[in-house]
Amino acid sequence: MSGLRLDGLRRAMEGVMASVLATCDANGIPNVSMISQVHYVDPERVALSYQFFNKTRRNVMETRRATVLVTDPETLGHFRLALAYEGTETAGPLFESMKAKLAGIASHHGVEDVFRLLGSDVYRVLSVEAVPGPVVPLVTNRPSLLAATRRTCAALDACADLDELLDCTTACLDRDFGIGCSMVLMAGGEAGRLYAVASRGYPVTGVGAEVAPGEGVIGVAARENAPIRIGHMTREYRYGEALSDSARRSGLVADAPRRIAFPGLAAPRSQIALPIAEAGCVVGVLFAEAGEINCFGYEEEDALALVAGHLAARMALLRQETQEETPAEAMSPAPADGQLTVRYFRADQSVFLDRDYLIKGVAGAILWRLLREHLANGRNEFTTRELRLDPALRLPAHSENLDARLILLRKRLDEREARLRIEKAGRGRFRLVAACSLALEEPDAGEAAG
Amino acid sequence: MTAAPPESDAPEPRPVVPPALVAFAQSGCGVAIASSGADGAPILGLGVGCRISAAGVFRILLGETANPALLSALADGRPVAVTFTATRNHDSFQVKAALAEIRPASPDDLPEMDRQNALFRDGLVEIGYSPVQAVGYCVWQSDDLVAIELVPERVFTQSPGPGAGTEIAR
Repeated sequence: MSGLRLDGLRRAMEGVMASVLATCDANGIPNVSMISQVHYVDPERVALSYQFFNKTRRNVMETRRATVLVTDPETLGHFRLALAYEGTETAGPLFESMKAKLAGIASHHGVEDVFRLLGSDVYRVLSVEAVPGPVVPLVTNRPSLLAATRRTCAALDACADLDELLDCTTACLDRDFGIGCSMVLMAGGEAGRLYAVASRGYPVTGVGAEVAPGEGVIGVAARENAPIRIGHMTREYRYGEALSDSARRSGLVADAPRRIAFPGLAAPRSQIALPIAEAGCVVGVLFAEAGEINCFGYEEEDALALVAGHLAARMALLRQETQEETPAEAMSPAPADGQLTVRYFRADQSVFLDRDYLIKGVAGAILWRLLREHLANGRNEFTTRELRLDPALRLPAHSENLDARLILLRKRLDEREARLRIEKAGRGRFRLVAACSLALEEPDAGEAAG
Repeated sequence: MTAAPPESDAPEPRPVVPPALVAFAQSGCGVAIASSGADGAPILGLGVGCRISAAGVFRILLGETANPALLSALADGRPVAVTFTATRNHDSFQVKAALAEIRPASPDDLPEMDRQNALFRDGLVEIGYSPVQAVGYCVWQSDDLVAIELVPERVFTQSPGPGAGTEIAR
């Protein structure tokens, strides 16, 4: 590649300003059209959105050459990129990343039903030319993303357990990046769902809210193990859970909910989801959103990807440390003040406190096990190790699933101000505290046995 | 600088562009111009605006400094394509010709370029550009303008969608 570095042109590839594409057929007859998306792939490649089999597409297949003109939305400088076609991707991280961005762009321009990504055409950039002309001086009065990343990583290093680590992550996004609305979701829920374990900036925490695989930017980021972001609001990447809950609130759906409403913004215009991966395996997603358009660009994506990577490393390290835990000991009677009836349904491992839904799935099964043991033996201190080794709980391989579920359980109990709570009792240990007497019911025990 | 009227040296015109598109092209569109080099590689530039004579000659104004390769290709008799795109709804059409003539800009081009540019800027703001972005995107200097003139031989619709590329007239 000759001329300017592609990395310096990434602002011009955010889709803020229109781009123009020229191709020629084998006889040199030119064709020129607007193009929805020019996507930065790496320092030597870009990808263009392939949406229709049209003259542009035929020309590219014939000659494998193109020239694209992009515009920096801040300096307003134009750049011409000479391109050589390499191939088309129709699935995978690059395709999904472009598909999400295109959905946002299409929605912004009111052509959601027309724009559908058929493929990501990858081109090697042969040369970059700054088009001569006046430009606006670049304003650099903004926080340094590199410094923000460094401060965040340092704060994560100081966290002593997973609970603190997750809350610290969302707090740092607020403090260091100015991102007010964010959440951490963990993988390993039922049917591959992700569930929220920490959130910040929403009227309700939404801890325990679930996102299905492939649903919204979070579900796609987890499925593809790739960052996904959108700069404009779009129907396609909304969360069905949230919509269903609003339908339920308005009386359109009448069934008793056994799930927790997704806490996201009602009208997000920018969203980003970054996989939290250990050894190539997605264990969670870091998610952020904002009510303004185009908040998360390539630079923010890189910075937040580093944060997500560091978070994954810290989670793995804390897990190692937690495994050197000590056995539980103390037994103490719970103070009694009234009675709480806890109902457990085997069918979906859901737990209700009196008539209020609390939690389901593995977190529900854990609570039920603790409560039964507490009532049977008077124990109120437990270790994560004994839960991990309990075959009845059928925990998935990754033990952060257990830690995350305990966090989820603790937060759900706390936010419901239940007379039942879970407290930390040292590394790898926790305490069940009941401020009332407990009655346990298993309404479907007979059905399950039969 | 003096300039010939738009159609002075043009070949015998054959107006093939429907009147609605003639009006559309002069309504403050985004104008993109392409040609090809001797090696067949595409060459791309942005235009400032367009004047269309009664005889159907398209006179497209563009910056000379920003487009040396494009002007050189056209001077060498290479083919040309020009796309006009409305900012508000992305309606678009493209004209193609085997060649274009390069002409100096004329003082009487300027008021029309000012008018079309103002419309174009308004359209950009309407779709979300900031006023600064809108001005910057289509900034031009009157002493740097040059004109190319062509008689469209083929006309295609380019509006986004599967129908893009359909030939309107030939």
